[in-house]
Amino acid sequence: MSLSYRVAYVFLRNLYSYKRFVLPTFLVSLVEPLFYLVTFGVGMGAYMGAFGGRSYLDFLVPGVLASAAMMAASFECLYGTFVKIVHEKVYDSLVATPVSADEAVAGDIAWGSFRGLISGTLMMIVALFMGVAPAAVWRALVLVVFMVFIGVLFGSLAMIITSISPSFDFFSYYTELVITPMLFFSGVFFPLDNFPGWMKVLAEFLPLTHAVRISRAVYTGQPQPGVGWGLLGLVVLAVVVFAVSVRMMRKRLIK
Amino acid sequence: MAVLVRASGLTKKYGDLTAVDGISFEIEEGECFGFLGPNGAGKTTTVRMIHCVSPVTAGTLTVGGLPSGIDNRALKMSTGVIPQEINLDNDLTVEENLIVFARFFDIRRREAKTRLAELLRFVELEAKAGAKISELSTGMKRRLLIARALLNRPRLIVADEPTTGLDPQARHLIWQRLRQLKAQGATLVLTTQYMEEAQQLCDRIVVMHQGRILREGKPGRLVEELIGREVVEVRLPPEDDPRVLAHLAGTPCTHERVGDTIYFYCQDGHALMRKLLELDLPNTLNRPATLEDVFLKLTGRSLHE
Repeated sequence: MSLSYRVAYVFLRNLYSYKRFVLPTFLVSLVEPLFYLVTFGVGMGAYMGAFGGRSYLDFLVPGVLASAAMMAASFECLYGTFVKIVHEKVYDSLVATPVSADEAVAGDIAWGSFRGLISGTLMMIVALFMGVAPAAVWRALVLVVFMVFIGVLFGSLAMIITSISPSFDFFSYYTELVITPMLFFSGVFFPLDNFPGWMKVLAEFLPLTHAVRISRAVYTGQPQPGVGWGLLGLVVLAVVVFAVSVRMMRKRLIK
Repeated sequence: MAVLVRASGLTKKYGDLTAVDGISFEIEEGECFGFLGPNGAGKTTTVRMIHCVSPVTAGTLTVGGLPSGIDNRALKMSTGVIPQEINLDNDLTVEENLIVFARFFDIRRREAKTRLAELLRFVELEAKAGAKISELSTGMKRRLLIARALLNRPRLIVADEPTTGLDPQARHLIWQRLRQLKAQGATLVLTTQYMEEAQQLCDRIVVMHQGRILREGKPGRLVEELIGREVVEVRLPPEDDPRVLAHLAGTPCTHERVGDTIYFYCQDGHALMRKLLELDLPNTLNRPATLEDVFLKLTGRSLHE
């Protein structure tokens, strides 16, 4: 793999282009989590009573935080990158410069991760206003680092889909058949305790399950079982998925 | 003169398709070298290998003594590419396009600003620095591509059909600029389908067809060798051929019928024209031979699609 400081140049290019979209994307990033927190957290939460001694909103916020970072990074590396390859031809001009195809892809994954971080952070700010704060300030900082990590993981996963996608339509297989179901099977909105055994096992194979569990442990300060192994598994997965995505994108870009 | 680009047995395959079929050529430092050929001849594929964005399947290709390869940053650092497809960054303004692109070559913002002011003047776009790409005409976009290709002060400039889709004014401006760059010492590699462009710019050309090089030489020399000095075109129904050709027997010209026209290729068209006048044919044209005649003779007159 040919990676260097030039990854930052690709990130910078995205930052320049982002200037024009900052406001609309901030609005979207704010409205989406607000929607979840208000409908599920406040609306449904009123019927749920105490959740292990705390309000439903306390349970919900860390899960939505992880999934918001996942969503934003995924969409950026699906649609954002695809437009840059096929429609805008940004990659064509990039690979003719000293920036390598690998760096272009890594730069876009870094960018996707940054977009995940923005979404997650905005969401955390909304949660603060709703009275759900991380258990300590340092925990908020750990969450920031963790959101960057989630972004790299899911951005790279999305990049693999982009590398084989013939058109926009292809992405809906991934978003509808993988991302959306994962949202409901990973303990974002409710605990997995009441699932039948096989579904619990299945959920353990979903990366988002572990991401949510870690986010919840860090946010609330309440220890969760299996967090250490979960984190290790995610790190290994992220390394593998990143390497594969760069390789597959290189195949698409260099002919 | 020193050789800058050297190719030997250069081959490029995409699966079963052989796009470039074992070609050899040398491009000298400071010259303008043109690749001519119909669509699908392998011109673009060849120059993409020269500027290191497409891996070589077989054979050798060196630029400045270094083997060309997609990870050869040193070569990319000193090469400027004017692509066939307009791939400017539509999300950015004219100025931002250049600043961001300069960064890819490790050129810092301040230095980039000085260079881009100079380059925008060079391509006559200084009034458009703050414009969005969508506000530019095709000619302006192509000029901006030239400015962008020059940011890193390249020693080798690769221009892949740089004037496609332009009006004559825009085309002539681009020719002016490319000649200026050559005069400043850059080596120019050009692909084109416009014979006039090749004649205007190139010191040497190769005519490519189906992945192979058919001929190589100076444009003027090729015309003389393969066609002669003059061409006489006579538009006339095929059934008149025997009568006309019998009358013209003895004139030192070769001829060829294509569709509704007979072409006579001559060193000197005077004798032929005198005899033709005697026949009083309505549709006769005597003109200098051009590179276009060479091109059509070498690559055939049928469509290549």
